[in-house]
Amino acid sequence: MLKATNIRKKFGKLEVLKGVDLEVNKGDVIAIIGPSGSGKSTFLRCVNLLESVDGGCLEIDGEYLFREQGGRIIFPEPDKKRALRKRLGMVFQDFNLFPHLSVMQNLTLAPLQEQNADRDAIEHSCRELLRKVGLSEKEKSYPCELSGGQQQRVAIARALALKPEILCFDEPTSALDPELTGEVLAVMKQLASEHMTMVVVTHEMGFAGEVANEVVFMDGGVVVERGTPSQVLRNPSQQRTRDFMSKLLTV
Amino acid sequence: MEFFQDFSKLGSLLSQMLGGSLVTLEIWALTLVFALPLGLLICMMRLSKSRILSGLSKAYIFYFRGTPLMLQLLFMFFGVPLVLGLKIDRMFAAVLAFLLNYAAYFSEIYRGGIQSIPKGQYEAAHVLGLSGKVTFTKIILPQVVKRILPPMGNEIITLVKDTALVYAIAINELLMEAKIVVMRESTIVPFVAAAVFYLIMTGLLTKLLNVVERKFAYYR
Repeated sequence: MLKATNIRKKFGKLEVLKGVDLEVNKGDVIAIIGPSGSGKSTFLRCVNLLESVDGGCLEIDGEYLFREQGGRIIFPEPDKKRALRKRLGMVFQDFNLFPHLSVMQNLTLAPLQEQNADRDAIEHSCRELLRKVGLSEKEKSYPCELSGGQQQRVAIARALALKPEILCFDEPTSALDPELTGEVLAVMKQLASEHMTMVVVTHEMGFAGEVANEVVFMDGGVVVERGTPSQVLRNPSQQRTRDFMSKLLTV
Repeated sequence: MEFFQDFSKLGSLLSQMLGGSLVTLEIWALTLVFALPLGLLICMMRLSKSRILSGLSKAYIFYFRGTPLMLQLLFMFFGVPLVLGLKIDRMFAAVLAFLLNYAAYFSEIYRGGIQSIPKGQYEAAHVLGLSGKVTFTKIILPQVVKRILPPMGNEIITLVKDTALVYAIAINELLMEAKIVVMRESTIVPFVAAAVFYLIMTGLLTKLLNVVERKFAYYR
């Protein structure tokens, strides 16, 4: 359903993405792994239109979100772009909850902006989402009153409130200590078991091995290797992947 | 101390001071009512992508922050009528000079507040599909208000005292009323009384600002 082709991105003279491809099918859980600076987060940010790209194209079910034409990047008209953009959800490393809004308001704000929004129905479904991430009692709390793990679970619920078809995670547990990491990964596993389509940039090899059906290893702005978790994590074909995996195992 | 024994004199001093305080408060309130939104407008121009708008805004701030308020006041009352050939009401000139000056300072305070909001807030709004208008009014502005309260409080209190400058265009505000009595009666009691009046006004404002700050203390 999502297809990114030959995504290229420069920061000044530094080429961080040198032509990255990714295809996501319904129900996929794709883990993107790799060392820091490999471009994996930048790639996910480009897919979510948080960074401008220098080349490549991105399509959802055959409709362009951006593409290259005559050396320039062109987008569909704003309404179409928004509609397509809405099919993607995004969860950030440092949560980015709105600190001045309660947990419930964080969830309902975006759905309430839609035309003919029905407040009761939206609040009801958001309450359901909070129950799902195990935070029913926190709907009136403010983000500063929650632990990091709870904040990230609110952020996941907030993204789900817009009913995205693909949920992207940018290192969702990197800002959390190991104890809190577990509760966030548990929510993500639950989503995977409900066949939510997910693209996860992560350092959690255990999660990648257990939950993902495809693992993509990136380094130096390119995809070095991709395949099933057992191929990439346990039996990599590329020397670069082997080096990365062996370093993980020794520490 | 015979000044205190003459109750009629004391009474007239108090009524003069109250009258002066009302003039002070009037200039203060009118300045705030107009300068707070005008400052936001100038700030939005300063932050806009248009180089013309941000250039205009920079020039505005450069002039109003870079010259004495007294000069701006004198120019408004004596200079503008000379150039345009029309008579200008004293009070109108005073309020106009003050609000233009304070809007320049306010715009820079707004700018500091807006630029201190982390990029992640905009990114979260973006991925949630919020429009630019909703992002600004529902996400950015409420957080800006909390952050700019302390510096705004400073300016709002300074404004109370700055109003004393309008004596230069012969408006009888609090300090001017005190000075009149000092000259007439050869006593410094009115100056002391004026200080007390200023302290009452700024003290109440400080209290009020604390209440507002506490209202925003529910989140960090």
